[in-house]
Amino acid sequence: MSARALVLFAAICLPAMGGVTPQPKTDKEGATSNSSVLRVNSTNQAYDFFRPWTKKAPFSRRGLGTLIEGGRILVTAELVANNTFIELEKAATAEKSSATVERVDYECNLAVLRPTDPAFIAGMKPMALDDGVRIGDRATVLQLEPNGEIAQTLGTVTSIAVGAYPLDNMGLLLFRLSAPMQQRDGSFTLPAVRDGKLLGLLMRYDARSQTADLISSPVIGHFLAEAGKGNYGGFARAGLAFSATRDPQLRRYIGLNEPGGVYVTDVLTGGPGEKAGLLKGDVILAVDGKAIDQDGNYEDKEFGRIAFSHITNTLSRPGDTLVFRVFREGKTLEIPVKMEPRDRSKIVSESYVVDRVPRYVVLGGVVFMELSRPYLQEWGGDWLKEAPQRLVFYDAFQNELPQDRGKIVFISQILPSQDTIGYEGLDNLVVSKVNGREIRSLDDLAEAVRHPVNGFQKIEIEEDPGVLFLDAAAIEANRDKLVKKYALPALQRL
Amino acid sequence: MIAALGAGIAQATPVARSLVRIEATSQEPDYKAPWNPGEVSGGVGAGFIIGGNRIMTNAHVVSNAKFLTVSKEGNPKPRPARVLFIAHDCDLALLTVDESGFFKGTTPLELGGIPAIESVVSVYGYPIGGSRLSVTQGIVSRIDFQTYTHSGMDSHLTVQIDAAINPGNSGGPVMQGGKVVGVAFQGYSGDVAQNVGYMIPTPVIRRFLKDVEDGHYDRYVDLALSYQTLFNPAARAALGLKDDDLGVLVGSVYGGGSSDGIVRPGDVLTAIDGLPISGDATIPMDDDSVPLAEVVERKFKGDEVSLDVVRDGKPAKLKIPLSDPWPFNLHSNVYDEDPRFVVFGGLIFQPVDQNFMTAHEPEDLRLRYMFDFFIEDKIYKDHPEIVVLSGILADPVNAYANDFRHAIVDEINGTKIKRLADVAAEFAKPADYYVIKMAGAGRPVVLERKAVEEARQRILSRYAVTREQNL
Repeated sequence: MSARALVLFAAICLPAMGGVTPQPKTDKEGATSNSSVLRVNSTNQAYDFFRPWTKKAPFSRRGLGTLIEGGRILVTAELVANNTFIELEKAATAEKSSATVERVDYECNLAVLRPTDPAFIAGMKPMALDDGVRIGDRATVLQLEPNGEIAQTLGTVTSIAVGAYPLDNMGLLLFRLSAPMQQRDGSFTLPAVRDGKLLGLLMRYDARSQTADLISSPVIGHFLAEAGKGNYGGFARAGLAFSATRDPQLRRYIGLNEPGGVYVTDVLTGGPGEKAGLLKGDVILAVDGKAIDQDGNYEDKEFGRIAFSHITNTLSRPGDTLVFRVFREGKTLEIPVKMEPRDRSKIVSESYVVDRVPRYVVLGGVVFMELSRPYLQEWGGDWLKEAPQRLVFYDAFQNELPQDRGKIVFISQILPSQDTIGYEGLDNLVVSKVNGREIRSLDDLAEAVRHPVNGFQKIEIEEDPGVLFLDAAAIEANRDKLVKKYALPALQRL
Repeated sequence: MIAALGAGIAQATPVARSLVRIEATSQEPDYKAPWNPGEVSGGVGAGFIIGGNRIMTNAHVVSNAKFLTVSKEGNPKPRPARVLFIAHDCDLALLTVDESGFFKGTTPLELGGIPAIESVVSVYGYPIGGSRLSVTQGIVSRIDFQTYTHSGMDSHLTVQIDAAINPGNSGGPVMQGGKVVGVAFQGYSGDVAQNVGYMIPTPVIRRFLKDVEDGHYDRYVDLALSYQTLFNPAARAALGLKDDDLGVLVGSVYGGGSSDGIVRPGDVLTAIDGLPISGDATIPMDDDSVPLAEVVERKFKGDEVSLDVVRDGKPAKLKIPLSDPWPFNLHSNVYDEDPRFVVFGGLIFQPVDQNFMTAHEPEDLRLRYMFDFFIEDKIYKDHPEIVVLSGILADPVNAYANDFRHAIVDEINGTKIKRLADVAAEFAKPADYYVIKMAGAGRPVVLERKAVEEARQRILSRYAVTREQNL
């Protein structure tokens, strides 16, 4: 699906244009919406993964929040990622107040904000969700003019399909809207409405094709229903990869006579699918009583043919049990799968690290980190080729590692000092053992360095140079000098 | 004016009597349609006559050559020539001309030593800018190890000179005091560096001439291990070394190589053939300090080298019988070989090597990983050859195989694929289904024998495939 190509526009960028042409207005949406939307200005500051003890320069993102039930404001998670301060601003009067994040989920790209002063939103009307959207419907995207007036762009819902959401590539329902949007300040999150109801939040826009991808109302509904729970863990997913079974030679070889079904190519270690006993090579024929076709779609009573991950990820709730009808070696089995969100603590290399300090340990100038994709993404857009290749491969093939591999601990750089003479220039080396102890996390490492052998810290590395030694006593003696020279706020953050 | 000057040089220089101009017609194999003979191109280089009716030149002047002619300076009639020996790992080749009388009246050039830094040398050849002999002069700027770009993998002793070296100079002699001190072979283009040209010095040339004395060229031998400097005081103390800045630390020992099973990672090399190894991995030799590899560089297949090591804090002496540097050759450019492949059901299977990677520039992460880390991660143990589905000749029989381009073949009908020959062998066995499992997650590719047989002639004629396999 073409949503793949659009991932690049994760941050929506509307091209600057010479002048702003006024849009035809239907006052209907403007009047109702004006009392439900307000400007959200978020100052964000991400950590610098090359110097994990520092933050990069702050920057600000502006978007349009939508007031929802319970005096809360709904925005995209990207708008407030790594925020240091969130400001609310009334469109018409420019009155300002602040807000905090009450719940955020970077996988579905949604966040709920709570105004610090409840009185600030007094008189405003919460907006309800529009759950009756169909292909071909018209919807209005709201933007703010500099004078606080609501600008409206009318568009048409051209497709409803499961597509990748930006941060974790999770497959969730997307509405695609064809609408001729124009550059306006502060368009990072924009609501799309119909008859005064919210049908989606715009999260990326491709100016060339004039199409916008919206976080769909069913995804918003799922998030809001779960967000209030104390143990919110995100959307459930089955933890399966599959491929189509259109090839008649494949169908004949595996003896598949059913009309549909998808071939399971991978089962995520520790995921619900694995726990339930699904295997590579199984053919999924039906989920929750809905027949799956050769491409992995089912007939949804609302949206037509869409990918069955809509059932597993959005329609089901964490804790629900879905029955998978599976074809295996000539037999058909019914396998109940208890849906659960992914246990993020088990992830080898995290696809995003937001709102928290990257973990690190500095030992005598040697900087240790745990592999994560944001670290690799510091190499820029072409990071797959530019970043250290061994780390790229670890990230890409992490599901193939032994189950107890744990985190990939590596030396990200050497801060040259008295203790690291001769080690200058070594970087991005994966650590296997320290002082004879296996290293499966930075916690292991922090523990291991407390036990030097014969007065030396012995660091074993998977690649050349194989082993590094540091003088344990000298490191302690030079500790303050190192902290001062490189202005390290802390020698470790775990 | 220009013409007069050119003629003057040609007459006045005795070297001219030993110089030849080489014209090569070569055919570059086509790694995307491997059954094709490839594109024909022509090139010009220089060469010089040495004893025994032989002409020395660069390997890259005559690589992939289908037809060669040489003409003597002052006698422009081209004569057919043939390659006697070619050494792609040090970019040298020996040619001869069978036509009787060709070598009559020529003077074989003699080899000299390594020229001193700052001494003047003259470069002879046929570089761009005209068609007749050209001579340039410069001084010796640096003597060091450099990568020989012809193979892309091998490093040998190299002499850098500041005389202009341009395309067409390749294979020409670099002279000093009437003797050959090197063969001009590579340089930087003007937009990278100014006046940086390189020549192959005589130790490398002599080694090549000695190697072929038995009528066969063996490759260079290699220790097949990696080592690093040992400047860190804590590391020296922990390894039980004296504070004398001697010794290097062994990082990896590559499986199947000369040192496999003899040297261990963590060993400290302190001397090679009795020569002490400094902390920067150099040894004293010929009144100079040179990389320790130079000892091995001068040896031949079957020779031994002795190493003094410190292992677990205790000194030890090791003897290493030297052999080919496989599996490093995977990363070398390949010449004078037809690409190997198997076509079955319109699917093209090829072993991955440097030529394949250059031609296909695959994006596939797994393929790039297995190629890049072939040595370090010992990929060669399970995959002595990495066989990929390199292309698809579209036909109904393979209509659903498109997603598998550049996938690595792991199994066919349950048999592990270690080499291209295994692919051919599995497809030669009678079976109703050929089930091809690729490395990593994914469904198998299934081909029905009936469908493959039906499609065979159709695919061969439609895509003009002249050959179904070259193992």
